[in-house]
Amino acid sequence: MKKRLPGFLFRLACVAAFAGLPMPAQDDSVYWYSDYREALRQAKQTQKPIFLEFRCEA
Amino acid sequence: MLSPKSSTLGKQLSQYVCVRVVRMDDVDVGLFDRDWNNTLYFFMLNADEQIYMRYGGRDAASPDTYLDLSSLELALQQGVELHRQYLSGGAKPVARPKAIFPREIPLLVQRTFQQRQCVECHLIGNFQNLQREQAGILEKLTHLYRSPDIKTLGITLDVPKGLVVKEAGGAVQAAGMRPGDRITGWNGAVVWTFGDLQYVYDKVDRKATQIQITVDRNGESAVLDISLPARWWWTDLRFRQSSVEPRTHFEDRALTDDEKRKFGLKPEGFASQVKYVADLAKVMKTHDLRVGDVIVGVDGVESDEFADTADLFIKLRKTPGDTAILDVLRDGKRMRMPLKTFRMNFRQ
Repeated sequence: MKKRLPGFLFRLACVAAFAGLPMPAQDDSVYWYSDYREALRQAKQTQKPIFLEFRCEA
Repeated sequence: MLSPKSSTLGKQLSQYVCVRVVRMDDVDVGLFDRDWNNTLYFFMLNADEQIYMRYGGRDAASPDTYLDLSSLELALQQGVELHRQYLSGGAKPVARPKAIFPREIPLLVQRTFQQRQCVECHLIGNFQNLQREQAGILEKLTHLYRSPDIKTLGITLDVPKGLVVKEAGGAVQAAGMRPGDRITGWNGAVVWTFGDLQYVYDKVDRKATQIQITVDRNGESAVLDISLPARWWWTDLRFRQSSVEPRTHFEDRALTDDEKRKFGLKPEGFASQVKYVADLAKVMKTHDLRVGDVIVGVDGVESDEFADTADLFIKLRKTPGDTAILDVLRDGKRMRMPLKTFRMNFRQ
């Protein structure tokens, strides 16, 4: 059976690929941390909520 | 670029500290407990690790049945509002669940850390169950049949709108749910997303006969008492791959009452007709069932409190490695045949 990446996951993967790489923030892209503890510290400092993504090859 | 900061989603994500975790090795799986057979799952929380909501959840049809960018945007918007309330002291902190780390699950450690392999999400669920089985505390209805399907209750959601009901049939229709209602509570718990709903639904005692669903209808809140149908907890486990044992290598369907009468079988029995036999059954010589066979009993048992088919009876009542004796009707003749089960390699 041909394996396909479902629509939502595909679109989100594109978002992640372009906007989500754990690298220094570009002006026009959303920065994604890859270290949860660091994200906690950042959230404390900025008083922002956290958006946590778990991505697994389940 | 699909989601620059100037896009709707980008603007919303910019209000959050975004973090992506792809290895579960050091994650508190007690705090971030979920159905481990989801490929993608999100939590919205704060720096005190108070979880506002979940976004995710799936069914057997597809990993993204309940995922949608519009509903994600709604959830992100709600998350910001909940955070504002939290910072202003308007939300009570909830007690943190007991911390559990993958390194505390011995069988998982053997299978992953000790072999320098990644702790994948589905392995956590599999090995939690294996650990439970060894400790004699595995409850198959709860631990194998995770995330009951809301369609069994008659709920079809308007997915882009979050928890707005598109169609209400069966048990929920009988309780007064209508299309357009927005589900806001499930058995007393506040739910914002399908992920929230599926998680709290999964916590319902499998012997429960009733639950309460709160809906918002034109700004008015209503609590509906839902009478749960038989086997409300049943879900299609085929997408869970290695999470279910014993495997039977066949699929069946429950006989109708008319068919049971025709065969002279008890109406309360779990007699079922084989509709599919996996090639693996022949290769591994696990059984000799054929499509069309009617399984009348297993080990002399013909009815069960929970099972309505022979396949379900075996999954619920037998242990991997057991051999069961099937009572089978084939071409009008009654016969007995063994069905061998095996423990999957990774569990041995």
